[in-house]
Amino acid sequence: MASISIRNLTKRYGNFTVIPDLNLEIADHEFVVFVGPSGCGKSTLLRIIAGLEPISSGDLYIGDKRVNGVQAAQRDIAMVFQDYALYPHMHVYDNMSFALELRGVSKAEIDARVRRAAALLHIEPYLDRKPKELSGGQRQRVAMGRAIVRNPKAFLFDEPLSNLDAKLRGQVRAEIKALSQELKTTMVFVTHDQIEAMTMADRIVVLQSGTIQQYDTPETVYERPANQFVAGFIGSPAMNFFPVEWRQEQAVLSQGGTVVALDGETAGRLSKAGNAVLGIRPEHFAVATDAADGIAIDVKLVEPLGSDTLIHFDLAGGPAIARVDPALRPKVGDRINLRPQPGKTHLFDATNGRVLR
Amino acid sequence: MTDAANTDRWIRRLNLVQLVLAGAIIMAPTVWMVLSSFKPSFEVTAYPPTLVFTPTLENYVELTRTTPFLSYALNSLIVTVGSTALGLMFGIPAAFAVSWTRISWPAILTLAARMAPGTLFLLPWYVMFRQVGMIGSYTALILSHAVITLPIVIWVLLPSFDGIPRSVFEAAQVDGCSVTRILWRIALPLVASGVAVSAILAFVFSWNYFLFALVLSNGDTKTLIAAAFNFIGEGSTQWGALMAAATLIALPPLVLAALVQRWLVSGLTLGAVKG
Repeated sequence: MASISIRNLTKRYGNFTVIPDLNLEIADHEFVVFVGPSGCGKSTLLRIIAGLEPISSGDLYIGDKRVNGVQAAQRDIAMVFQDYALYPHMHVYDNMSFALELRGVSKAEIDARVRRAAALLHIEPYLDRKPKELSGGQRQRVAMGRAIVRNPKAFLFDEPLSNLDAKLRGQVRAEIKALSQELKTTMVFVTHDQIEAMTMADRIVVLQSGTIQQYDTPETVYERPANQFVAGFIGSPAMNFFPVEWRQEQAVLSQGGTVVALDGETAGRLSKAGNAVLGIRPEHFAVATDAADGIAIDVKLVEPLGSDTLIHFDLAGGPAIARVDPALRPKVGDRINLRPQPGKTHLFDATNGRVLR
Repeated sequence: MTDAANTDRWIRRLNLVQLVLAGAIIMAPTVWMVLSSFKPSFEVTAYPPTLVFTPTLENYVELTRTTPFLSYALNSLIVTVGSTALGLMFGIPAAFAVSWTRISWPAILTLAARMAPGTLFLLPWYVMFRQVGMIGSYTALILSHAVITLPIVIWVLLPSFDGIPRSVFEAAQVDGCSVTRILWRIALPLVASGVAVSAILAFVFSWNYFLFALVLSNGDTKTLIAAAFNFIGEGSTQWGALMAAATLIALPPLVLAALVQRWLVSGLTLGAVKG
């Protein structure tokens, strides 16, 4: 068990800087998820922690020890790879016992640990099989088992669910979460899937171009995004954005001039800024009964999801989505009135995207 | 019958014709050699060649009577096994190092050495080995044949090592393996079929190599292929004995080549990664 501390870390490939001056503190026993679009540097950062990539400058501490020049083999961390990376010539048992054998653990202890991990992951019947005889989900569990038996200082996961089908992904996601609560070990999980990030993390690191955009709890990242990038990345469907201006003591959409009813606090911030980008999550639209109270939209597409319904429409020159009650069954071409729920709107600086508070 | 089925039938027929033609061209000299070795000596060079004849072992008897055939065979075996072992000993770590570091110039250098004509090495080696009194020794022959075996091992194994997913090596690193241990415990078992193929190819090429043994061996260390050259004289050539010797020389590589086929198709890395 150990904390992970990254200080002024830079990673360059030749002249190309992937991670410029990054600082991050991961507490002991914490489950932290790195999330961001492809190429944001999240896997590179994980590989740096693992010792598979050298650091260009800065410091990395695992526990109290500076590990900049320490080989992966000596860092005492375990990693689950995206493609599982099992040893194909070894049986499942040997895959799991290999690291312990290298550390000179006694055979009895190895056997006890392997069988305990196998029981935990329900892979006991497969211990004498080779990886090629297992399904994707079973291989995934073996990869986790290989990590668990080590009892390492920290677990690193590099998009381990991306090769599983949707149903299995949900199941394994829950299992990893349960495992983290049982093992009480520091875990760092990389994903591009914001649902995985939201459901598993104690804290989320949202990355873009090697820079941390926000590092906070899932609730805070969702409810109080630090900037327009985070707001757009976290949440599905993504937050709707509309350029908005303060004109004649009211908020109006820059394109089309539609008046938007904002709560007093948000309106106050907009009046100070003059113009901004208004962010409204699809689930934070309400259907207005009074036409004067809402924004009239024409329904372009309806997606009934069962639990709720997504309505696609155009507003202020761009596409937008609202999530409404499934009891409401609008048809394509219908005109309905939507209004943002009070206190649920976000304003972002029109020039740098930072949230206006 | 549809057009597609017709086209398919014609493609199959053309493939068969191609295979038969290629097979005939490749096999004709070998068949000629084997048949000639069983012909009476006066029929070997008869023109037009005789296809129907009474087979005889007289050429084989002549071969064993006039030459210490078994000692030459033993010499060939010592030199070939030695140089193949040397090739594997240095070629396996070298191929792994090239694959691991992705620095390819050392491998290209060995390929250049392999592509260079053998005569290029011959004079400096002759001088060098004579200086240290090693002309005619097995060591000189084994070392010189390593120039043949080492590049073969490296270039056969390189794609095998490259074919192992990098993440498997990285998993081993995280598990606590040093690079050397990754080679022996992870990479080598996964390229076992490649090692077998490279060993067999190195064996065949070294076994059949003529030039170095002709110059660097002596009467005690002469290899089979160099000894067979003795049957070619200034005035007359003993074609029957030469064909018998050539047939016996060709046997081990042929047997090994048949074995290679079994190793070539191997799905050892299946299941290492997704899919």
